[in-house]
Amino acid sequence: MNILMDKEIIYLEDVSFRYGDVQAIDHVSLKLEPGIYGLLGPNGAGKTTLMKILLGFLRPQNGKGVILGHDLALQHKQIRAGIGYMPESDCLIPGMDAVSLTSYLGQLSGMPRQESIKRAHDVLYYVGLEESRYRQAETYSSGMKQRLKLAQALVHDPRLLLLDEPTSGMDPGGRREMLELIKDISRKGTMDIIISSHLLPDIETTCQQVLIMNRGRIVAQERIHDLNREQFNSFEVQITGNLESFLRELREHDCLMEENEKGYYRIRLPLTMTARFLFQTAYRIKAQIRYFKKSQSTLEDAFMKAIGEDG
Amino acid sequence: MTIREKGYANWEGETTASPFRWLPIFLTGVRSVFRKKFSKLLFSLTISPFLVFLIAIYVTTKPELKILAGLIKQLKSDAMIFQSFYTNEFLIFMLVVVSIFSGADLISADLRFKALPLYFSRPLSKADYLAGKMTVILFYLLLFTLIPGLLLLVFKIIFTGRMAVSFSLLAAIAIFPIIVALFFGSLTLALSILSANSKLIKILIFLVYIFSDNIARVLKNIFHNDLFYLFSIPKNVYQLGAFLFRTGEKWNYPPGYSALLMAVLTLVFISLLYQKIRKAEASA
Repeated sequence: MNILMDKEIIYLEDVSFRYGDVQAIDHVSLKLEPGIYGLLGPNGAGKTTLMKILLGFLRPQNGKGVILGHDLALQHKQIRAGIGYMPESDCLIPGMDAVSLTSYLGQLSGMPRQESIKRAHDVLYYVGLEESRYRQAETYSSGMKQRLKLAQALVHDPRLLLLDEPTSGMDPGGRREMLELIKDISRKGTMDIIISSHLLPDIETTCQQVLIMNRGRIVAQERIHDLNREQFNSFEVQITGNLESFLRELREHDCLMEENEKGYYRIRLPLTMTARFLFQTAYRIKAQIRYFKKSQSTLEDAFMKAIGEDG
Repeated sequence: MTIREKGYANWEGETTASPFRWLPIFLTGVRSVFRKKFSKLLFSLTISPFLVFLIAIYVTTKPELKILAGLIKQLKSDAMIFQSFYTNEFLIFMLVVVSIFSGADLISADLRFKALPLYFSRPLSKADYLAGKMTVILFYLLLFTLIPGLLLLVFKIIFTGRMAVSFSLLAAIAIFPIIVALFFGSLTLALSILSANSKLIKILIFLVYIFSDNIARVLKNIFHNDLFYLFSIPKNVYQLGAFLFRTGEKWNYPPGYSALLMAVLTLVFISLLYQKIRKAEASA
């Protein structure tokens, strides 16, 4: 049975899931049209649980859904046949080289053996493992294992790709290449992608839309382009003198702030407040602003706002 | 031009929804067991009872060999020959070793390498996964029981020159190894899912086999009741043979009890296995 829908690849209605007393997914409703989506949220927000529900690993205790035209409750096999999943954990099948592993998983997806072997070579070449494709997967570095996990997710050319922390454990060069691969796959336009990541720049550079989760709920779903509009007046400052009082003052006025590795503070003022407020506050409590720079509004600001509004 | 230079390439083929999704797991498992170190040595030892019984069957067809009259008397009927072959202590012991060798790490290695999400993100049910793993063990157990059993029957017909085989004997020759293989296979997998440490699982299976027999002996000696042999794996296998081949019980309780116990335990092991794999899938 293929449930006809307008255009959605994922449709969830009032889906909930509990682990004992913990409400992991709280009445989530979602409609995703074809595209490339970033799934953001703090630890414990429910991102991985949502992915497991989409894959049918977990059965929602409430609600219903349709994934790729198939009923979430009844058609797990059909749904999985259309999904390529790259898990977050360092997983592999022991005793196999990359070609055997990728081809084996292709066969489990329903590919003919010969086709799966040929396709395994192709995707391993594509992800940059051509030189080491006959090496035992256990001997791979973290970065190579990430590439192998992407290759196995691509081998059967799925309709929907679920990537859970795809750049985890990769060096900067490898991370850049992985993001390039994801962008390249999405450019082709034949595959829809959902990337779960805690690295906001990864989402920002690869995705068209972002879903922000907090406490098991989707608290924001917007286009990256729209999110990049000003959410705050952001500044980077260095404070000396009465720092504690300065920060306390800002907190009392609903400003958000975080210290970076250089010891500077990134301060986000509500749009109704300007830089003048910072200087007046510093003057009043006898702190000194030694460095001041207006910062660009980013996805991080949108993320902070969505999480902040959710409480 | 490399694929990366020309971008991502779609696969033009079509996947099929075969009812035998588990087949790649079975084929890959069989190949990997065969490639293991010492596999040939182990298989040679396991096949040795077949060679001994082949000679024995030949001898029973030659009454003129008076020197072997004792053996001929012992193997007085076809049922006795096949029951003796299937339930000899060496073969049962080797079947345990083959179960450990082929099956102890089938699931535990997947747990160790966190492979379950890779399996269950495919159009594969829990039953498909378990069927793929179980058939690996069944293949090797039946290779050393059912196949030699049928070959012995064929050689018996050739040596005697008569096609006189009763249906009940043929059924017993086919059913006994299947029940034993399902019992050892489900026991091995049920223990294999308990831990990601394959060595621990191997030791555990071996201990279950050894201790079941020793505990049964101790209890039998204390209480002077043969019924305690129901705790013993090798004795239950022997009694199953006595039940199916109708050769009479060796101990003082109906051999059907052992057959029933083994069938119930197999179902319990499979049910536990299914529940465990459900939990493993949810936490994958």
